[in-house]
Amino acid sequence: MALLESRGLTVSYGGLHANDQVDIDITEGKLVGLIGPNGAGKTTFIDAITGFTPLSAGTVTFDGVDLEGKSPDERAHLGLTRTFQSLELFEDLTVRDNLMAAAEKARWNSFITDILMPGRGERAYQQQVDEALDALDLAEHADRLPSDMSHGQRKLIGVARALAARPKLVLLDEPAAGLDTQESQKLGFKLREFLSSGMSLFLIDHDMGLVLNVCDYIYVLDFGRIIAHGTPAEVRKDPTVIAAYLGESAGEAQASAGTALNTATEEQS
Amino acid sequence: MNSIIFNLLIGLGIGSLYAALGAGLVVSYKGSGVVNFAHGAMAMYGMFTFDTAWNRGELFLPWCDFLPTHTVNLPVRITLDSDGSWPMIPSLILALGMSVLIGLAAHFLVFRPLRNAAPLGKVVASVGFTLYLQGVALINFGNSFPQPKSIVPDEPLKNFLGLGKAFPQNTVWVVGFTVLLGAVLWGIYRFTRFGLATRAAAGNEKGAILLGYSPQRLAALNWVLASVTATLAAIIVGPIQGTITPIGLTALIVPALAAALIGGLRSIPIAVAGGLALGAVQTLLDLKKSSWFTGPLTWLQDGVRNVIPLIVIIVVLVLRGKSLPIRGTVEEKRLPLAPMPKRQIEHTLFWITGLTVFAFIFENAGPLTIFAGSIQTGLVFAIIMLSIVLLTGYVGQISLAQMSFAGMAAFFMARMMADGIGRGSNLVPVTGPGLPWPIAAILGVAAAVIVGLLLGLPAVRIRGVQLAVVTIAFAISLQSLYLENDELTQLRAGVPAYVKEPNLFGLSIGARSDRQLNERPAFVIFGAVLLALCAIAVANIRRTGVGRRFLAVRANERAASAAGINVSRTKLLAFGLSAAIAGIGGVMLGFKQVEVSSANFVYGLSLSLLAFAYLGGITSINGALFGGAVFAGSVVPTFSNYFLKGTNMDRYLTVLGGFFMIVTAIVHPEGAARFFQGGMGYAGNWLVSVIPGARTLRDAREGPRRKVVNAILAVLLFGFALWIYNAQFIDSNTVWVIVSLLIFWALAVIAAVILGGIAPTFGEAGRGWVGWFTKFGPAALVGYVAGWIVWPIRVDDYSKLWMPLLGAGIALFVRSLYRQIRYGRPDMHAPTPEAANDVPVTAEVG
Repeated sequence: MALLESRGLTVSYGGLHANDQVDIDITEGKLVGLIGPNGAGKTTFIDAITGFTPLSAGTVTFDGVDLEGKSPDERAHLGLTRTFQSLELFEDLTVRDNLMAAAEKARWNSFITDILMPGRGERAYQQQVDEALDALDLAEHADRLPSDMSHGQRKLIGVARALAARPKLVLLDEPAAGLDTQESQKLGFKLREFLSSGMSLFLIDHDMGLVLNVCDYIYVLDFGRIIAHGTPAEVRKDPTVIAAYLGESAGEAQASAGTALNTATEEQS
Repeated sequence: MNSIIFNLLIGLGIGSLYAALGAGLVVSYKGSGVVNFAHGAMAMYGMFTFDTAWNRGELFLPWCDFLPTHTVNLPVRITLDSDGSWPMIPSLILALGMSVLIGLAAHFLVFRPLRNAAPLGKVVASVGFTLYLQGVALINFGNSFPQPKSIVPDEPLKNFLGLGKAFPQNTVWVVGFTVLLGAVLWGIYRFTRFGLATRAAAGNEKGAILLGYSPQRLAALNWVLASVTATLAAIIVGPIQGTITPIGLTALIVPALAAALIGGLRSIPIAVAGGLALGAVQTLLDLKKSSWFTGPLTWLQDGVRNVIPLIVIIVVLVLRGKSLPIRGTVEEKRLPLAPMPKRQIEHTLFWITGLTVFAFIFENAGPLTIFAGSIQTGLVFAIIMLSIVLLTGYVGQISLAQMSFAGMAAFFMARMMADGIGRGSNLVPVTGPGLPWPIAAILGVAAAVIVGLLLGLPAVRIRGVQLAVVTIAFAISLQSLYLENDELTQLRAGVPAYVKEPNLFGLSIGARSDRQLNERPAFVIFGAVLLALCAIAVANIRRTGVGRRFLAVRANERAASAAGINVSRTKLLAFGLSAAIAGIGGVMLGFKQVEVSSANFVYGLSLSLLAFAYLGGITSINGALFGGAVFAGSVVPTFSNYFLKGTNMDRYLTVLGGFFMIVTAIVHPEGAARFFQGGMGYAGNWLVSVIPGARTLRDAREGPRRKVVNAILAVLLFGFALWIYNAQFIDSNTVWVIVSLLIFWALAVIAAVILGGIAPTFGEAGRGWVGWFTKFGPAALVGYVAGWIVWPIRVDDYSKLWMPLLGAGIALFVRSLYRQIRYGRPDMHAPTPEAANDVPVTAEVG
């Protein structure tokens, strides 16, 4: 049984099906990718899995648990974390504290410990956070504020924050958007490394090079429906995919480069 | 049935006041996206302008001569007619002109500079504007407000609509006026180009710019419109609600907000209808309360009318909070960073020792004994402000109900102490379990926590400005439901509740000694220890996991929940903790005053508290200490009162507080503590470098023998304090100071010798002094001399001392400003000479 299974997952806004009967399996220890043109419903899918958007129909099971009715923070505690396309970092906390906030598991009484014996509760999580920082080469920036850092580094903080809690599955929403080719390749290597430490990953991205190169298995989404799935090699050859998506690869590549550039400039301005 | 209809109709009168003000709130929200807490105050100023022109023949400009000495001689009062009255129509035109001016001021001086500020900044600025207008009105128009003449006929109509009772005619007029006003405003937004453009800009500011409209010009026009309608409403409808006072009119903001929210902050007709209905229902409940609320509900009789707006506000916000229009501004700034607290132990030791020393010095110091009381006040308010730092500074939840938490704690404690015997000024017995003070105090704080959690519940769904609206409505409800409710407190209106004096192992630690002045040093120590404990708790929160979760929620609720943080529980925790700290403050206020009355906890004080906490720096513990020190009745105002003899600084505190709040919100959202801290850091470094021995001590503290050094330092400090206390027999202050310093210096040197080596040498220290003087000396000297030349303007003994120092301070400030402009802004994080220069000026601000 796969780590995460969505069955007939449907998200509707009014009459529009942003996700329509989506069946996706994420196998443990694998890197699964989801591609699709703009507006295909990729981010909606992550939102639905992590509890930010209510399902209209269908079920999601994670690690044998039905996720229905669980809030985003409960899902995070089960080991299901995510990154955001628009980063959404905690700008008022240093990089290390960003990670610590995500790593710590708060109990009802942890505020008492924190007030009376500050520091006692966090020792257990320090190492976890250090590992996540090291994994993304952020250790030297640990005490800086995210707002002082470059866009590429901020992206990495987002990923590190999702990793810091030692989740079972991380959903990455366009982690490479706004990164240059080299940075994006480097990120790809890192992602493969995480797999070896017993984590599973789910990746959405526009960067076809990244997705086709690093993923073990790929789903293709168009107009909210899964139109194809398979290994990268299979997907590359699939005629439906070529028609819907890869056929216009040149134009798409240009478009995605353009979007990435826009996002980058907006973030910086 | 007839009587119900009749009462509802009567209620339309007060309802039209809510409706008209509510419509104005919608107008200013459409124009600039600001929920204007100052709306009532703006109406008030226009109304009083009309009244004084018409009935007294005078005009007061909307400011006051802020120097009590009238050195500046700003024109404030203009006599229009020496006969003491002016015709009505010109008065009305004059008042409307004044409201135009106030509307423009609100836009250009307050909200335009803040258009991209965080919501808290806008709330604080509008609260500041409220305080400013209120303060100016109290100073200019005085405390006695004649019942203003109504300008609409008010003979009763007999047998109105066949209901068989006389009906006030003015109600008919004012309802007619309000409906007309609503219709006109609706027409303006529906059919004119200006209205269309405003709606467009409210929907999408960028889009409106692209279409060639200036959103800021539209906003200015809308502010004028809002201000004028508010004034008109107050003039025409205001007299219907009885005596008009600045505070009373300002308080109308809550039902007016309820009306505006019923209209979704968007629809003027619905807001008008909602306001009318609200007034009708309130009046009905008010007139019927003694027959409807009986038996177990009797306690609701007093407060029920004020609870209606709260219920309406919560229901509207919870049901349609998400659909309320939020203005999409280009980029919204965040709250200032919350600095990480450092060196808590040292700070704690320093403050407790310092405060203790002052407490003993002023214990029985003749006229100076007032300073002892002011220290006590400062401690209490610093504790309450810490609760604001926690809730608003760390978690970003804007609460205007902190004083209500304090009041809850104080009153519940007083009741738990009561033992069925009338005490103090209350001779009517109050029943109660008669518990000892520590248990009663803990129960009081627990009660505050419960109330805090209760208020936290709506905060789970409601955020930002809307939450501020809920909290102010909640504060007013709690005030009338509990604090002023004689059913529950068994206190007749206005009579204070008696609080037992605390004692520890037989030693009294109450505030008052036999002299009946608030001067017992033991209470200062008690308060300082509690303040220190609260501050350490807040500092620990900031440094650990709870604080990270708080700040994460403040920064981004979506991301926080994705990171596994339960946002609702975190907010509730913050409300609970904050209410606990505010409750401790309330309990201490009870102990300090021995008797607490509901007037100590009016909702208006919560506004001032938030304002001063913001002024001090809402995200830092030092900010709370600073805020506590400059609050009314506290250290800085008392000292200023004393030095600026007989000027009654407290009267100007509201005006100055409001003014500086607006300035802080616009110029320096981090608050004054930041300057203060930089200056302290610099002064500390400087002291360490010029006092031989001090550097050795400091270096040794970082070494392996830090425990020994800490012990030596503690002994030093306490020894020094003891000396100062026992050295009162020296008559001359100068000798006293010099001897004290010499002793301290000797102790420092001895300690340094014990630890090995004196650094710097005397030569180095000398060079330090010389360097300092060549750097700052000339500017300071020029200022000092200028002050000395000018001092005879102030004809009292203190000016000779005070004015040259003020001059030197101003000169240093000008120097630093000049250097800032010339060489760029210095780094705010590092203590710089410029930051040090700002210290005297910040100190004078309070």
